[in-house]
Amino acid sequence: MRKIVLQRFTILLVMLFLVSVVAFCLPLLSGGDPARAIMLSRVSDMNLAPEAVEALRRELGLDRPLMAQYLSWLGSALQGDFGYSFATRQPVSAEIGRALGVSIILALSALGVALVVALPLGTMAAMRPGGKVDGFTTLLIQTLVATPEYWFAPVSILIFAIWLGFLPSAGWESWQSLILPAMALMLRPMAYFTQVTRAAMRDVLEAPYITAARARGLSMNQAVLHHGVRNGSMPVVTFFALWFAGLLGGAVVIEVIFAVPGMGRLLYEAVVNRDVPMLQGGFVAIVGLSIVINTIADVLYVVINPAMRGSHGH
Amino acid sequence: MDIDMSHNTPTPQRRARLAVIYGFVSSRHWTFKVGALLLAAVLAMVFFAPWIAPYDPGAQNLIHRLQPPSASHWLGTDHLGRDVLSRLIVGGQFTVTVAAITVVFSLVVGTLIGVIAGRVGGLVDEVAMRVVDLLISVPDVVVAIFLIGVFGSNYFTLILSLTLVGWTPFARLARALAKEVNSREYIRAAEVLGMRRSFVIFRHIIPNTIRPIAAVSFLRFGHKLITVGGLSYLGLGVQPPNPDWGLMLAEAQPYLERVPLLMIAPGAVIFIAALSVTWMGHGMEIERRRTGKQDKS
Repeated sequence: MRKIVLQRFTILLVMLFLVSVVAFCLPLLSGGDPARAIMLSRVSDMNLAPEAVEALRRELGLDRPLMAQYLSWLGSALQGDFGYSFATRQPVSAEIGRALGVSIILALSALGVALVVALPLGTMAAMRPGGKVDGFTTLLIQTLVATPEYWFAPVSILIFAIWLGFLPSAGWESWQSLILPAMALMLRPMAYFTQVTRAAMRDVLEAPYITAARARGLSMNQAVLHHGVRNGSMPVVTFFALWFAGLLGGAVVIEVIFAVPGMGRLLYEAVVNRDVPMLQGGFVAIVGLSIVINTIADVLYVVINPAMRGSHGH
Repeated sequence: MDIDMSHNTPTPQRRARLAVIYGFVSSRHWTFKVGALLLAAVLAMVFFAPWIAPYDPGAQNLIHRLQPPSASHWLGTDHLGRDVLSRLIVGGQFTVTVAAITVVFSLVVGTLIGVIAGRVGGLVDEVAMRVVDLLISVPDVVVAIFLIGVFGSNYFTLILSLTLVGWTPFARLARALAKEVNSREYIRAAEVLGMRRSFVIFRHIIPNTIRPIAAVSFLRFGHKLITVGGLSYLGLGVQPPNPDWGLMLAEAQPYLERVPLLMIAPGAVIFIAALSVTWMGHGMEIERRRTGKQDKS
């Protein structure tokens, strides 16, 4: 087991290194002169004096070889310093920290509700394959998967905010403003959670210990509740971690529609404003975090369930 | 769900021959058929758009703006007086093209990596699968946004960014299938006969992965349609005044209350397009599971 854990962490470090290299190269890839870009962000004057740009280049150390620049960038990045946003002139890390908090709340509430709906639904569907609940669940899953969230969101705004008027249509002030975005965000994870639960429970219900429990005289419901659910929810937990990591930055469209000040909107605005330091910081935060969360989930899975050693959870 | 819909029941031999000829198209599950029909309608609409569209999708008429549906404008007009139906018909080209190309690229890259990992095994397999594990949770929207931020929005950037993470589900599936096939006798036979690795992979393993991968491709296609539409919605895809489903949704936002249809119509088209491929994929999965069970028994 220690070997597996060590190996996962080695790969994690290699991936994080790659992420840092890509993040560092982002402004270089965009082709512009970084010193000029920074200058432009400070004085919005298109006729920059070449001497001033050169001076800034020396001041920021942008005339040094790339390797040296990368190392000093990495050094400050490791201390959580990603520089200042071009657009807001605030420290990037502070903005990202704030946005991450919002996104975590949003992601957890959406995924929590999705789980609460999906676990019973998937279990019931698995208990009678081909039955009414199963048929309905399948239809529901497909409908949810095919629903664009940027379609569902305006419709829900129209119904709940404009026509009925009891929920705010946008913003991030009270717990009520959490409801509509979370609702729109949970559609697809709910569908996938239900699907995974159903598949996992199908496997579990065919296991010998369920037959044994039934033979001891437990009813099907009791057998499922006492023996099935715990085993069947294991894959769902892994899936939850995957989705959580994905939603930290992946809720771009929903956060933009509902004006939620989370990671997704932060990134979107960074792109629209050509805010390079913010893009770098956001890239490291989102991709880095999702890789870290994934590794942790993976390692926990191995630690909790020694039977899964070697094989890959399937 | 197993109802045979054909009235003239063909002989077993004839049915076997038909199945061979039509391959996975002969799948009889109703969701596949309905999905295929819907998809055909959507694709026909997209391909023949210039000939079907009743009006010029770009023609403005500010006097007749925000009109309700009428005999001359079936779905009404938008905020610039443009015919909504014509814009819907023409507006699928970008989304459908990008999604389709992305899925094809992801499929090729993912299947190759997965099959090689599953066949070669050892360190190659280990590294490939760890990379898949880590990439699979990175949302494609985020990768797309970064690359658009750096390179600007165009077909190339979008396809590249969606493929960068899009290959991972294919790789995972292809690897699992390759592992399964690895233990079959004809692979042993090929090894004993001294066949080259590439021959075994292309002749024996890849053909075995085609059906399940086709099913997944349809599901991924639906997902990509929604992602690309979302990027357009954010203004990171097609630029106005070009007609595009996602962009139309975004443009309808200020008129949400006055003319809800403006927003409902383009969303419904994306929904139908995504639903059609989802149903096709689902139908194929059911077919596969059924034939899989027959194989085992």
